[in-house]
Amino acid sequence: MTAHEISEFLAPIRHEFPDQRSLILPALRFAQEEQGWLPPEAMAAVAEATGYSQAYVESVASFYDRLYTEPVGRRVISVCTTLSCMLRGSDELLAHVAANIGTNGEGTSADGMFTLQRAECLGACDRAPCLQVDSDDQQGPLTHDDADAIIGALRADGAPTRYDR
Amino acid sequence: MSEPDEAPVIITINGQAVEARKGAMLVDAAKAVGVEIPVFCYEPRLGKPIGACRMCLVEVEGMRGLQTACSTPVARDMVVNTTSDQVKDAQNGVLELLLANHPLDCPVCDKGGECPLQDRTFQFGPGETRILEPKNHFPKPLDLSPLVALDRERCIACFRCVRFSEDVAEDGQLTFHERGDSTEIATFSGEPYEGRFTGNTIDLCPVGALTSNPYRFVSRPWDIKNAPSICAGCSVGCNLEITERDGEIKRVTGRPDPNMAVEEGWICDRGRWAFPALTAGDRLVMPEIVDQVGRRHVRIERAVGDAGAILRRSGIRVAFLLGTPVTVEDGFLALELSHLLDDAPVARLGVSDDGLGPLRALPGAQMHDMDGADVIVMVGGDPSSQQPVTELRLRKARRNGARVAMVGPRPTALDGNTAEALRTVPGRLGDAMDVVAERLLGSSRAIVLWDECDLAAEPVAADALARLVASTPGARAIELAADVSGPGLRALGIPATGVLEQIEAGEVDVLITVKADPTTGPGGTRWAAALNQVPTVIALSTHRSPIVDLAAIAIPVLYGLEEAGTLVSMAGRAQRLRPGAIGPEGAAAAWEVLVGLSHRMGQPLPDRTAAQAFDRMAKRFPAFSGLTCTDLGLLGAPIAAGTGGPAAPARRAEGEGLALVVSTPVFGDATAHRSDALDCVREETHLGLCPAEADRLGVSGSTHVRVTTPFASVLLPLVEDHRLHEAGAYLVLGDPASMAATLLPADRGPVCAVISAPVAQEVGA
Repeated sequence: MTAHEISEFLAPIRHEFPDQRSLILPALRFAQEEQGWLPPEAMAAVAEATGYSQAYVESVASFYDRLYTEPVGRRVISVCTTLSCMLRGSDELLAHVAANIGTNGEGTSADGMFTLQRAECLGACDRAPCLQVDSDDQQGPLTHDDADAIIGALRADGAPTRYDR
Repeated sequence: MSEPDEAPVIITINGQAVEARKGAMLVDAAKAVGVEIPVFCYEPRLGKPIGACRMCLVEVEGMRGLQTACSTPVARDMVVNTTSDQVKDAQNGVLELLLANHPLDCPVCDKGGECPLQDRTFQFGPGETRILEPKNHFPKPLDLSPLVALDRERCIACFRCVRFSEDVAEDGQLTFHERGDSTEIATFSGEPYEGRFTGNTIDLCPVGALTSNPYRFVSRPWDIKNAPSICAGCSVGCNLEITERDGEIKRVTGRPDPNMAVEEGWICDRGRWAFPALTAGDRLVMPEIVDQVGRRHVRIERAVGDAGAILRRSGIRVAFLLGTPVTVEDGFLALELSHLLDDAPVARLGVSDDGLGPLRALPGAQMHDMDGADVIVMVGGDPSSQQPVTELRLRKARRNGARVAMVGPRPTALDGNTAEALRTVPGRLGDAMDVVAERLLGSSRAIVLWDECDLAAEPVAADALARLVASTPGARAIELAADVSGPGLRALGIPATGVLEQIEAGEVDVLITVKADPTTGPGGTRWAAALNQVPTVIALSTHRSPIVDLAAIAIPVLYGLEEAGTLVSMAGRAQRLRPGAIGPEGAAAAWEVLVGLSHRMGQPLPDRTAAQAFDRMAKRFPAFSGLTCTDLGLLGAPIAAGTGGPAAPARRAEGEGLALVVSTPVFGDATAHRSDALDCVREETHLGLCPAEADRLGVSGSTHVRVTTPFASVLLPLVEDHRLHEAGAYLVLGDPASMAATLLPADRGPVCAVISAPVAQEVGA
């Protein structure tokens, strides 16, 4: 993705951001669409299009869990490990998901299908323990079987089964 | 209720009514009356406070919760408590959290013993922690660059280094990555943090996170002695602090109490890491004489005695040549000695004063005057490379709202973001005077920075510029002086010309050189031929050089950081060097050797210290009138401005071909080349051409070109750069061994060069 393409994407929304620094986020999200993650060249292009330093753009990207500065699998599963979920067994849920997809804790599965990551509070404490697939709504509370079913559905056709209770 | 900021108001701090400036930050108001509020992130030189570390929490009556004293401005009748139980509790809590992931490895930390985190913890901290969780661990240290090491475990995320990079050096290199307790300092894609000012982040770091690689495990604070001195690397005259152990310099840092009028505590990496040059292998450590036996080492008493005996002979004609860094005292004593020798001529190696008189008669400014300027115009030069810390002042001026313009033939690091770049045709600065006039129009606090070399080459432009500045109300000038000794020696009336001509006319029997080796500099070939006609050369030198090999008597002398004396900065500020190390055993300060010579001649000069010499000199020379060495103190004082001199007629560039545009980066000079620490940032000699011109000359794509002027012909690496003007050949001077400086005439005047492709065997197959 070139700086020019990013600039063209930003042109119609520029006026919505009185602080031009805020353009970095939509620009990063747009740049991430192409390869599913943000290689250094993509961040450099965002820097050029927004006028901020490359280091600053990378700093912004590294702050957010859903902006990826390293390659990720086709589906990203975020397991909440903050207080409520932790008390309700999120550590065990995370370990269970990892075992299912074949990663050692957080990371990407060998087949490139899944990336598992720990998330800070997903805002569904009433449904702990919860997880989130890509940027879909969080779902929970989940048993280990529920998690297996979600992963199975994702493997089969990519459409996640929802467990909203 | 509304009163102007800065008006004095009464506030109460810890029960005491005190006066404070309205709008000042509480932390400063408290400090002014002797109350310490602990801080980590607060550093006014970095811009507005950000309140990142939370260490400065205080209680302010009427305000809910605790306030950060670093970002709370003083207001009338404020009642502040910095020692209440609530504040104490907050300080304990903040330190407990700042130390939550800190490895507490003070015994093996370079910062240990001079660490604000350590000091604050002992003074304000809880003494023990309730946190039992495992700490974050990282492999350590991580090299941010070959010069700066990062220990991520020790970082408290205060943002000081990041703010320096973003807001002071404006290099946009350092940022924080990740968030929360994973936050770490990083560069884009892990690239090395390299630049001209990176070392300042080490001085700024309030913990042991950023440390100096060359100083790693070299010393502990109780083994060292610090001395405040002045950098002799360029003409800015940055104040710095020298750390000595066992008689040797181990470290150079910015001053903890900066000179706000000069460098504000920021020094360049060249100034910080050039000191290993003092102990480099080619340092002259023992005097040498040539007698019947041949060349041999002797003690300094013997060398000075022999030199004195030569000078005692009747009828001999002596001349003095002063190089750099030569102090005002060295210059004064050379003059004093010359009076004992039938008024022997004394000259300095440098740019001739001809035609610069009108500019030097302009009202002068100090570096900090740029902070309040409305317009800054640079005419010629490249301060980023030749007087580096000037760049930080210019960036600050721009942030303060000044319009900055760079008028000259060279592309600079300031182009674009900081300065409007107005590129001129090489050798035709005079054509740009209309543009300069336009920029100065309507200004009331303009500062004009003019480059000594560039304007000496174009006297007509110099005169026009001087008139422009003189006719602009409120405008002042700062000279971007070419070398560190020039301004001081000029104040003593020591010219840059004369001695060479006298040698060539066969009028010199004994030449005494002080830190001068003209054979590798401008006019080197002519100098080398002339020196062969001098029967006796007495060389006072810091390092081995061609002139030492030529000298009948060579006496090692001390170098800037090792000696006492005075240097005058380009802004006309006299500042004291204080010895930070002992220097080689066989060496003495140059002024001391000159006094020694007078004793051996039987006409002793009275000076026993550099300070005495300064005081005697100040009574004699109007530029220093009214000053004493004591007056200069830690921060120096401006000397009186020169009276100027007449304008000069236009000069024609010598030779044929492209106008030679010369830069002398301090990161490329002899001292920088002697320091291993600067390997990664050193500048090498090369010739720059714009690609179109390289193509036209048939040298496009070559690694090297032959550069020929009427004075020399040298093979140099070629760098093609589209930012360069096609009517110029851009010579960047690095290591003197390249002999590239000999391409210039002895007076550093304008010159043209013929560029040709090298013959095959020259570049090696």
